[in-house]
Amino acid sequence: MSSPARTRTLPARAPDGWIFRYSHYRNYILFAATSVFMAIACVVLLFGVRALAGGEQAWNDYLAALGSPAMLLLNSVVLLFTLYFALRFGWVGRKIPAGGKIGPIPLAPPVPMALLGLVPIGGFVTLWIVVLLVLGGAIL
Amino acid sequence: MNLIHKLEPLFWMLFGGGGFAASFFLPGLLIGVCLLAPLGVFESGLAYDRAYGLASSGTGRVFLIAVISLTLWHCAHHLRHLGLDLGLGTTVPALASYGLALVGTVATFTLVLAL
Repeated sequence: MSSPARTRTLPARAPDGWIFRYSHYRNYILFAATSVFMAIACVVLLFGVRALAGGEQAWNDYLAALGSPAMLLLNSVVLLFTLYFALRFGWVGRKIPAGGKIGPIPLAPPVPMALLGLVPIGGFVTLWIVVLLVLGGAIL
Repeated sequence: MNLIHKLEPLFWMLFGGGGFAASFFLPGLLIGVCLLAPLGVFESGLAYDRAYGLASSGTGRVFLIAVISLTLWHCAHHLRHLGLDLGLGTTVPALASYGLALVGTVATFTLVLAL
Protein backbone atom coordinates (compact mmCIF):
# COMPACT_ATOMS: atom_id res chain seq x y z
CA MET A 1 0.00 0.00 0.00
CA SER A 2 1.89 3.03 -1.19
CA SER A 3 0.79 6.58 -0.48
CA PRO A 4 -0.52 8.52 -3.49
CA ALA A 5 2.16 10.29 -5.48
CA ARG A 6 2.48 14.00 -4.92
CA THR A 7 0.92 16.08 -7.64
CA ARG A 8 3.70 17.69 -9.58
CA THR A 9 3.31 21.42 -9.97
CA LEU A 10 5.35 24.11 -11.62
CA PRO A 11 7.24 26.36 -9.23
CA ALA A 12 5.54 29.66 -8.51
CA ARG A 13 6.58 32.50 -10.77
CA ALA A 14 5.99 36.22 -10.62
CA PRO A 15 3.18 37.45 -12.87
CA ASP A 16 4.02 39.68 -15.83
CA GLY A 17 4.48 43.29 -14.83
CA TRP A 18 5.10 42.46 -11.18
CA ILE A 19 5.74 44.73 -9.15
CA PHE A 20 4.78 48.09 -10.54
CA ARG A 21 2.81 47.61 -13.75
CA TYR A 22 -0.67 47.41 -12.28
CA SER A 23 -2.26 49.46 -9.53
CA HIS A 24 -3.25 46.40 -7.50
CA TYR A 25 0.35 45.13 -7.50
CA ARG A 26 1.56 48.59 -6.51
CA ASN A 27 -1.00 48.93 -3.73
CA TYR A 28 -0.17 45.46 -2.45
CA ILE A 29 3.51 46.39 -2.14
CA LEU A 30 2.59 49.77 -0.66
CA PHE A 31 0.42 48.00 1.92
CA ALA A 32 3.28 45.67 2.84
CA ALA A 33 5.66 48.64 3.03
CA THR A 34 3.49 50.16 5.77
CA SER A 35 5.05 47.53 8.05
CA VAL A 36 8.50 49.10 7.72
CA PHE A 37 7.14 52.45 8.83
CA MET A 38 4.99 51.08 11.64
CA ALA A 39 8.08 49.27 12.96
CA ILE A 40 9.91 52.62 12.89
CA ALA A 41 7.00 54.10 14.87
CA CYS A 42 7.46 51.39 17.52
CA VAL A 43 11.18 52.15 17.80
CA VAL A 44 10.52 55.89 18.14
CA LEU A 45 7.94 55.20 20.87
CA LEU A 46 10.33 52.83 22.67
CA PHE A 47 12.91 55.63 22.80
CA GLY A 48 10.17 57.68 24.46
CA VAL A 49 9.59 54.98 27.09
CA ARG A 50 13.33 54.92 27.76
CA ALA A 51 13.35 58.71 28.08
CA LEU A 52 10.48 58.57 30.59
CA ALA A 53 12.48 56.12 32.70
CA GLY A 54 15.49 58.44 32.45
CA GLY A 55 13.82 61.37 34.20
CA GLU A 56 12.43 64.78 33.35
CA GLN A 57 15.51 66.04 31.50
CA ALA A 58 15.67 62.94 29.32
CA TRP A 59 11.97 63.28 28.45
CA ASN A 60 12.34 66.94 27.52
CA ASP A 61 15.41 66.09 25.42
CA TYR A 62 13.37 63.38 23.69
CA LEU A 63 10.57 65.81 22.84
CA ALA A 64 13.13 68.37 21.66
CA ALA A 65 14.74 65.75 19.41
CA LEU A 66 11.33 64.86 17.97
CA GLY A 67 10.84 68.57 17.27
CA SER A 68 13.76 68.74 14.84
CA PRO A 69 12.68 69.21 11.20
CA ALA A 70 14.17 65.84 10.19
CA MET A 71 12.26 63.92 12.89
CA LEU A 72 9.03 65.83 12.21
CA LEU A 73 9.37 64.90 8.53
CA LEU A 74 10.15 61.25 9.33
CA ASN A 75 7.26 60.98 11.76
CA SER A 76 4.89 62.64 9.28
CA VAL A 77 5.81 60.02 6.68
CA VAL A 78 5.46 57.28 9.31
CA LEU A 79 2.02 58.66 10.20
CA LEU A 80 0.91 58.71 6.54
CA PHE A 81 1.87 55.07 6.05
CA THR A 82 0.21 54.12 9.36
CA LEU A 83 -2.98 55.91 8.31
CA TYR A 84 -2.89 54.13 4.95
CA PHE A 85 -2.59 50.81 6.77
CA ALA A 86 -5.39 51.54 9.23
CA LEU A 87 -7.80 52.93 6.65
CA ARG A 88 -7.21 50.03 4.26
CA PHE A 89 -7.51 47.54 7.13
CA GLY A 90 -10.79 49.17 8.15
CA TRP A 91 -11.99 49.22 4.55
CA VAL A 92 -11.60 45.43 4.34
CA GLY A 93 -13.62 45.26 7.55
CA ARG A 94 -16.72 46.64 5.82
CA LYS A 95 -17.38 43.10 4.63
CA ILE A 96 -17.98 41.92 8.20
CA PRO A 97 -21.25 43.85 8.74
CA ALA A 98 -22.20 43.06 5.12
CA GLY A 99 -21.66 39.31 5.00
CA GLY A 100 -20.87 38.27 8.56
CA LYS A 101 -17.35 37.32 7.50
CA ILE A 102 -14.48 38.31 5.27
CA GLY A 103 -14.98 36.86 1.81
CA PRO A 104 -17.60 36.73 -0.93
CA ILE A 105 -20.87 38.34 0.10
CA PRO A 106 -23.88 36.07 -0.58
CA LEU A 107 -26.49 38.83 -0.86
CA ALA A 108 -26.22 42.50 -1.65
CA PRO A 109 -26.40 44.32 1.71
CA PRO A 110 -29.32 46.73 2.24
CA VAL A 111 -26.91 49.68 2.57
CA PRO A 112 -24.15 50.62 0.11
CA MET A 113 -20.81 48.94 0.81
CA ALA A 114 -19.02 52.30 0.90
CA LEU A 115 -21.26 53.34 3.78
CA LEU A 116 -20.46 50.12 5.65
CA GLY A 117 -16.77 50.98 5.26
CA LEU A 118 -17.41 53.97 7.47
CA VAL A 119 -18.33 51.69 10.40
CA PRO A 120 -14.87 50.23 11.15
CA ILE A 121 -13.08 53.36 9.99
CA GLY A 122 -15.34 55.52 12.16
CA GLY A 123 -14.54 53.26 15.10
CA PHE A 124 -10.81 53.64 14.49
CA VAL A 125 -11.05 57.43 14.22
CA THR A 126 -13.06 57.56 17.46
CA LEU A 127 -10.30 55.64 19.26
CA TRP A 128 -7.61 57.94 17.83
CA ILE A 129 -9.54 60.93 19.19
CA VAL A 130 -9.86 59.24 22.60
CA VAL A 131 -6.08 58.60 22.66
CA LEU A 132 -5.45 62.24 21.75
CA LEU A 133 -7.84 63.47 24.47
CA VAL A 134 -6.01 61.32 27.04
CA LEU A 135 -2.58 62.48 25.87
CA GLY A 136 -3.73 66.08 25.74
CA GLY A 137 -5.00 65.94 29.31
CA ALA A 138 -8.73 66.34 28.59
CA ILE A 139 -9.50 62.81 29.90
CA LEU A 140 -7.94 61.08 32.96
CA MET B 1 11.95 25.36 8.99
CA ASN B 2 9.40 22.86 10.15
CA LEU B 3 9.08 24.77 13.40
CA ILE B 4 8.26 27.98 11.53
CA HIS B 5 5.42 26.16 9.76
CA LYS B 6 4.18 24.59 12.99
CA LEU B 7 4.11 27.97 14.70
CA GLU B 8 2.29 29.62 11.78
CA PRO B 9 -1.06 29.87 13.69
CA LEU B 10 0.73 31.66 16.54
CA PHE B 11 2.44 34.07 14.15
CA TRP B 12 -0.86 34.67 12.40
CA MET B 13 -2.65 35.44 15.66
CA LEU B 14 0.08 37.90 16.65
CA PHE B 15 -0.19 39.37 13.13
CA GLY B 16 -3.95 39.79 13.44
CA GLY B 17 -3.76 41.19 16.95
CA GLY B 18 -1.04 43.59 15.89
CA GLY B 19 -3.13 44.81 12.96
CA PHE B 20 -5.95 45.66 15.34
CA ALA B 21 -3.67 47.20 17.98
CA ALA B 22 -1.94 49.36 15.35
CA SER B 23 -5.21 50.44 13.73
CA PHE B 24 -6.85 51.22 17.07
CA PHE B 25 -4.07 53.13 18.77
CA LEU B 26 -0.95 53.83 16.70
CA PRO B 27 -2.21 56.87 14.74
CA GLY B 28 -3.38 58.56 17.95
CA LEU B 29 -0.05 57.89 19.67
CA LEU B 30 1.93 59.10 16.68
CA ILE B 31 -0.06 62.31 16.27
CA GLY B 32 0.02 63.02 20.01
CA VAL B 33 3.51 61.99 21.08
CA CYS B 34 5.55 62.35 17.91
CA LEU B 35 3.97 65.41 16.25
CA LEU B 36 1.81 67.52 18.58
CA ALA B 37 3.92 67.17 21.76
CA PRO B 38 7.22 68.28 20.12
CA LEU B 39 5.36 71.24 18.62
CA GLY B 40 4.32 72.30 22.13
CA VAL B 41 0.60 71.63 21.71
CA PHE B 42 0.41 69.13 24.59
CA GLU B 43 2.58 71.13 26.96
CA SER B 44 0.58 70.23 30.07
CA GLY B 45 -0.89 66.94 28.86
CA LEU B 46 2.50 65.41 28.17
CA ALA B 47 4.55 67.28 30.78
CA TYR B 48 6.98 64.82 32.39
CA ASP B 49 5.03 64.06 35.56
CA ARG B 50 1.76 63.40 33.74
CA ALA B 51 3.37 61.43 30.90
CA TYR B 52 5.27 59.32 33.44
CA GLY B 53 2.10 58.78 35.46
CA LEU B 54 0.16 57.63 32.39
CA ALA B 55 2.87 55.31 31.13
CA SER B 56 3.83 53.77 34.46
CA SER B 57 0.28 53.02 35.63
CA GLY B 58 -0.83 49.40 35.36
CA THR B 59 -3.13 50.15 32.45
CA GLY B 60 -0.47 52.27 30.79
CA ARG B 61 2.12 49.50 31.00
CA VAL B 62 -0.23 46.87 29.58
CA PHE B 63 -1.26 49.32 26.86
CA LEU B 64 2.30 50.15 25.83
CA ILE B 65 3.47 46.53 25.87
CA ALA B 66 0.44 45.36 23.89
CA VAL B 67 0.49 48.09 21.27
CA ILE B 68 4.24 48.14 20.65
CA SER B 69 5.04 44.43 20.77
CA LEU B 70 1.94 43.29 18.86
CA THR B 71 2.57 45.90 16.18
CA LEU B 72 6.15 44.62 15.86
CA TRP B 73 4.91 41.03 15.37
CA HIS B 74 2.40 42.28 12.84
CA CYS B 75 5.14 44.05 10.88
CA ALA B 76 7.39 40.99 11.08
CA HIS B 77 4.78 38.63 9.66
CA HIS B 78 3.81 41.06 6.92
CA LEU B 79 7.44 41.64 5.90
CA ARG B 80 8.16 37.92 6.01
CA HIS B 81 5.46 37.38 3.41
CA LEU B 82 6.64 40.36 1.39
CA GLY B 83 10.06 38.70 1.34
CA LEU B 84 8.44 35.50 0.11
CA ASP B 85 6.64 37.43 -2.66
CA LEU B 86 9.84 39.17 -3.66
CA GLY B 87 11.53 35.79 -4.10
CA LEU B 88 13.76 35.90 -1.01
CA GLY B 89 12.67 32.42 0.02
CA THR B 90 11.05 31.20 3.20
CA THR B 91 13.72 30.75 5.81
CA VAL B 92 15.80 33.92 5.72
CA PRO B 93 12.90 36.44 5.82
CA ALA B 94 11.18 34.41 8.53
CA LEU B 95 14.22 34.17 10.77
CA ALA B 96 15.18 37.81 10.21
CA SER B 97 11.73 39.30 10.74
CA TYR B 98 10.60 37.11 13.64
CA GLY B 99 14.03 37.48 15.21
CA LEU B 100 13.76 41.26 15.11
CA ALA B 101 10.22 41.12 16.49
CA LEU B 102 11.46 38.93 19.36
CA VAL B 103 14.28 41.38 20.12
CA GLY B 104 11.75 44.24 19.99
CA THR B 105 9.38 42.41 22.31
CA VAL B 106 12.13 41.76 24.87
CA ALA B 107 13.15 45.42 24.61
CA THR B 108 9.54 46.55 25.06
CA PHE B 109 9.03 44.44 28.19
CA THR B 110 12.38 45.53 29.61
CA LEU B 111 11.85 49.24 29.02
CA VAL B 112 8.19 49.37 30.07
CA LEU B 113 8.73 47.31 33.22
CA ALA B 114 11.70 49.55 34.14
CA LEU B 115 9.38 52.57 34.38
